[in-house]
Amino acid sequence: MSAYTKAQPGSHHEAHDEDRAHELPYATQVRANRLGLWLFFISEFFLFGALLITRFYLWNVPGVGQTRPELSQELGLITTSILLLSSFFVYRGETAMTFGDRKTFTQSYLLAALLGLLFFVGVVVMEWNLFGLTLNMFGIEWFGHLKPSDGVHGGVFYMMTGMHALHVISGVGLLLIAWNRGRKGMYSVERHWGVEGIALYWHYVDVVWIFFYPALYLIGKAV
Amino acid sequence: MRTLGIIINSAYVRGLIGQAIFTFAGIGLVGGIRSAMGLETNVEPGVVLGAILGVIGFLLFAGVLTDWLKWIAGKKTPLRHGVPEGKPGWSRYLNVDVNHKVIGIQYGYTSILVLLVGGIFALVFRLELAQPGIQLLDAKTYNTLFSAHGIVMIASILLGVGAMTNYLVPLMIGASDMAFPRLNAFSYWVGIPAVVLILSGMVVGGWDTGWVGYPPLSLRAPLGVVLFLMGFYLNGLSSIASSINLLVTVSFMRAKGMTPFRMPIFVWAAVATSLIQFTATQTVGVALTLNVMERVAGLTFFNPTNGGDPVLYQHLFWFYSHPVVYVFVLPGLGIISELLPVFSRKPLFGYKWIALSSLGIAFVGFLVWAHHMFTSGMNDALRIPFMMATMFVAIPTGVKFFSWVATMWEGKLSFETPMLFVLGAISVFLIGGVTGPILGTIPTDLHLHDSYWVVGHFHATMFGGFIFPFFAAIYYWFPKITGRMYKESLGKLHFWLMVPGFWIMSLGQMQIGLLGMRRRIVDYEAVLGVQGTQVLITIAALVIGWSVLIMVYNLVSSARSKEMAVTNPWGSRSPEWQIPYPVPEFNYDVPFEVVGDPYDYGLDGSEYVHTQAAPVPSGD
Amino acid sequence: MGKAKHYIAVTVLIIAATLVLRFFVLGPLYRLPMAASKEAGPIDVMFDAHFWLISFLFALIMVFMLYAAVVFRRKPGDDEMGPYVHGNTGLEIAWTILPTVIVIGFGVWGAVMLNELTTPNPQEMTIRVWGQQWAWLFEYPEQGNVTTPDLVLPLNQPIVLEMESRDVLHSFWIPEFRVKQDLLPGRKTYLRFTPTEPGDYEVRCAEICGLQHAVMIAQVHVLDEAGFAAWADERMAAPAYADMTPVERGQVWYTEFGCNACHSVDGTALAGPTWQAMYNHEAQLTDGSTATVDDAYIRESIVNPNLKIVTGFAANVMPQDFETRMAEKETAVLASEGVQLDIIADIIAYIQTIE
Ligand code: HEA
Ligand code: HEA
Ligand code: CUA
Ligand SMILES: [Cu+2]
Repeated sequence: MSAYTKAQPGSHHEAHDEDRAHELPYATQVRANRLGLWLFFISEFFLFGALLITRFYLWNVPGVGQTRPELSQELGLITTSILLLSSFFVYRGETAMTFGDRKTFTQSYLLAALLGLLFFVGVVVMEWNLFGLTLNMFGIEWFGHLKPSDGVHGGVFYMMTGMHALHVISGVGLLLIAWNRGRKGMYSVERHWGVEGIALYWHYVDVVWIFFYPALYLIGKAV
Repeated sequence: MRTLGIIINSAYVRGLIGQAIFTFAGIGLVGGIRSAMGLETNVEPGVVLGAILGVIGFLLFAGVLTDWLKWIAGKKTPLRHGVPEGKPGWSRYLNVDVNHKVIGIQYGYTSILVLLVGGIFALVFRLELAQPGIQLLDAKTYNTLFSAHGIVMIASILLGVGAMTNYLVPLMIGASDMAFPRLNAFSYWVGIPAVVLILSGMVVGGWDTGWVGYPPLSLRAPLGVVLFLMGFYLNGLSSIASSINLLVTVSFMRAKGMTPFRMPIFVWAAVATSLIQFTATQTVGVALTLNVMERVAGLTFFNPTNGGDPVLYQHLFWFYSHPVVYVFVLPGLGIISELLPVFSRKPLFGYKWIALSSLGIAFVGFLVWAHHMFTSGMNDALRIPFMMATMFVAIPTGVKFFSWVATMWEGKLSFETPMLFVLGAISVFLIGGVTGPILGTIPTDLHLHDSYWVVGHFHATMFGGFIFPFFAAIYYWFPKITGRMYKESLGKLHFWLMVPGFWIMSLGQMQIGLLGMRRRIVDYEAVLGVQGTQVLITIAALVIGWSVLIMVYNLVSSARSKEMAVTNPWGSRSPEWQIPYPVPEFNYDVPFEVVGDPYDYGLDGSEYVHTQAAPVPSGD
Repeated sequence: MGKAKHYIAVTVLIIAATLVLRFFVLGPLYRLPMAASKEAGPIDVMFDAHFWLISFLFALIMVFMLYAAVVFRRKPGDDEMGPYVHGNTGLEIAWTILPTVIVIGFGVWGAVMLNELTTPNPQEMTIRVWGQQWAWLFEYPEQGNVTTPDLVLPLNQPIVLEMESRDVLHSFWIPEFRVKQDLLPGRKTYLRFTPTEPGDYEVRCAEICGLQHAVMIAQVHVLDEAGFAAWADERMAAPAYADMTPVERGQVWYTEFGCNACHSVDGTALAGPTWQAMYNHEAQLTDGSTATVDDAYIRESIVNPNLKIVTGFAANVMPQDFETRMAEKETAVLASEGVQLDIIADIIAYIQTIE
């Protein structure tokens, strides 16, 4: 049951280091980190769940049923695809690291971070239309028109996309940190919890969007 | 002089300076941008950003984030251990330290300090309530005081829970520390700017929403409400981080042979508590965030004039704030279960039932939140299932009571201060508990809701489930923490003052509630016929206040005495009592192995933990 | 056997303690206000049952605990352990099942009673209730829509309140009637009861609603059938607005729109400046300037209360919808009486008279 054994000074995989003598053995620490991260996801599940509940509660109009704001479908689809693509690269990078292919790993993480940033721009600059622009090209409305003050539709939409965007932008930061550390050769095949943890986080943020996207763009009558 | 230097250079002072600088920077930044953009003057967005930045400033200046920032920059950071070079031992407690025992003690004294602050608020508004009419406070001050009293006390409880779980759990399961020591420090330190935010909310206009912050009132309340909501939010953040830490610690760091049903019972309580904390807290976070956003950024969620719904807030709020009352009490009930066998010299009766009842309470606690909303105008069809679920919480709670009584039965009871507080806790929590079902059945709640009956009910549950057991724990583990014994006579005096004080206060509150005394009013009419009781409650409150001061004096003066306490004054079987003072930096220099059950008092030749060899002197 | 002695003693003590608690503690000390509605009857029965339960459970645990503390205390010099007893599954099951039965019983009882409390009665009379910071207003749709700041109720007549708030949450509570219901803005809530005792009571707002929550109280008068009919007739026959002087009308508006919640006429400072001797005096404003309280100033302050704030008072306290509400009332009076009123002018006229 109990996996905890004390790090023995001078044991074969752990060089003697007075500062670290009392830290958990790496394998145990990684398992602990993993559990901690999953618990964090469960915790965040309640955050996003509460936002989803808010959405279904407030966008339910008696006599009409579920509603949603009129949004640019194409824009939503594009940003969603970008995010999903980024998840693929994160997956690729993490797998590469487990095989010791550092180059593929750093490249993929950098690419994923850029895609994540693109998604962020797609939401914050284009969908939120931070700068009040208009552009109609290829029959697509490239900048959103929904304002935060547009009743419950605006409120919930901005809150949900905003909360998600906050996670995306922090995820981008983490990907860049992993990329930077990877570049400096700080991960090895045996020791790359950072790479793994960030990948898990990124996939999680993606999964959240898979629930948010239909809730915001697809379900309910557009009004 | 040196002492002063250490204090001025402590993480608290540095943090507060950082918080101040960043807060004003944030306010200035938003103010500047807004005036550059020609927007109308509205300080609130600036205050919100200032508050957020201020917290970051606090953490940065205090040094909580240092290791993580270095990690980002790609530097290795060893955990800092032991007393800092050339500084006195106590200076550890004023600075960021990652040792769970230090953090536990930091939680502990912060909790007591915050309790005193919240208590002073209560004493002040109790003086006002002693007489009908308005003597001392105007309505605005009164509203701010009771609102702050509620949330400050709750912050104090959360800190106290952190004190008990942090100090005790790693010791009890034989871990060297928590699984994430830096996160542990973060959880504690983020609570300090939270309290600062709440208290500064009182200065900048106060607020009048109570600790619940219901909209639409919170949308029009004075500026203070924003700081209150954000401080509340940060407390939640701290809870989430520390509960995840605890769950991981208990999962991976138990000593050899410590199967789940061989853990000290308090650990079960801590686990059940953490299960609530790391999930439900997020929803109140959402409720508070939406509230702030609606107020400050013009989004709509709760204000019906723009299509929002105020009842939604209540659902989100109580989905956390009901379960959180079990966060307040489960660790305390764990302490009761932990101490009773020791002072009864008898095994804990029905260990497994008690352990599982904690989980049962935590679970059922998730299904009852709307009993705070029976009169809120929510859908009628929902009221009955929530009434049913509420009644069910009585069942696992009852299991605990009956098992406690059975533990004491035919034991060999002795009555040192910790045991007195345990018995006090049982009786007080009992009166709090049995005054719950009458609130749970809707027809009676229609009369009692928002009356002083509720006030009496929850002071009893919180005193019985938290304050009394917390005090018991402080006295009980005091020799472990300080190596000194507290003064028994003063401990008993504290108890015998606090018990009647409490009973008069809480029973009095219930009595005037039945008669029609509403909550949250600065003034009541003489016709209610509650005046005599009100005076009694105020006197009782003062007595409680004195008794707590006696405890503080006792703890401080005893800690400074020369005389050392014996290693295991209570004859406990728990592992932390098997090693002498001081507890080594990493708890057990020689890991122990669990070879028996924790509470087998009276079973001849039984052993709970087994230490193989004597520690080899480390030669430093 | 020695053991049986303990159990007999404890049983006797529990019974005694339960009775003492019920009859000598809860009985005399924990009293409800008089019961003045039909609903109070069954609810009080339930209170009584709960008091029995509280007395019994408290006695049960406390007697065991204190008995153990006294009888099983450790004698000086005794360092023996207690008996090695670590559980009893039968007992655990028993004390799980028994409370379950009790709480299910209470739950079902509560559900049935709640159903009775909320079912509409075909004979019920509707009264509309408006809550606003910090005043009540009652409207009688079946009595020609008369409105009053006091709640007047006919004896033994089933009542349904149709309630709505104009701003924040409030809660309608008459302790003597035992029932309570929140008022929400933007949504109607309902409360049903039948007054059974003539007399005077008070509605007290039970939900924190800001600064003056404590004084959000309205008088309640329960009159017998004849009395109520007389009252209603008198109110319905009240002089048409057209026949009243502006000052008289202003006085009506003063309570009808809830001005009285925040503006006294006797010099007391409430949430807003007093109206006493206000007219034509200088007001010191928060922006440092002063203003003369004349017709234009008063009109502006009602229509747009946040524009100028007198020092010592807070912005955002006064409702901002008076213009619409007054316009609605003017339209209603125009429809029923054919006169076009200017409510603000009436109020100004009234203010001028307050010295
Ligand atoms: C530490 C905190 C704590 C605890 C443990 C509890 C425990 C319980 N509470 Fe309490 N409660 C609060 C803190 C707590 N409460 C607070 C703070 C509020 C007010 C919030 C606010 O508005 O500000 C509140 C308000 C509150 C309300 C809303 C009242 C209102 O505003 O109208 C209700 C309604 O159902 C309620 C019910 C209960 C019940 C049924 C329990 C049960 O868990 C009690 C179970 C225990 C027992 C019943 C006793 C022991 C059992 C036995 C001996 C077995 C046999 C028992 C039976 C057969 C019944 N509580
Ligand atoms: C742990 C929680 C806790 C604790 C311990 C207390 C303790 C006390 N509470 Fe509290 N109370 C709440 C939690 C708590 N309360 C909550 C959550 C609310 C609801 C708020 C709301 O409605 O929103 C509430 C509301 C509340 C009300 C209702 C207010 C209202 O609705 O208008 C009242 C009224 O009597 C009251 C009284 C008291 C009193 C007299 C004490 C006493 O026990 C206090 C005893 C005093 C001390 C412990 C302080 C001792 C200190 C000194 C004597 C000074 C020394 C100074 C220095 C050393 C610097 N409380
Ligand atoms: Cu209206 Cu309180
Ligand atoms: Cu509750």
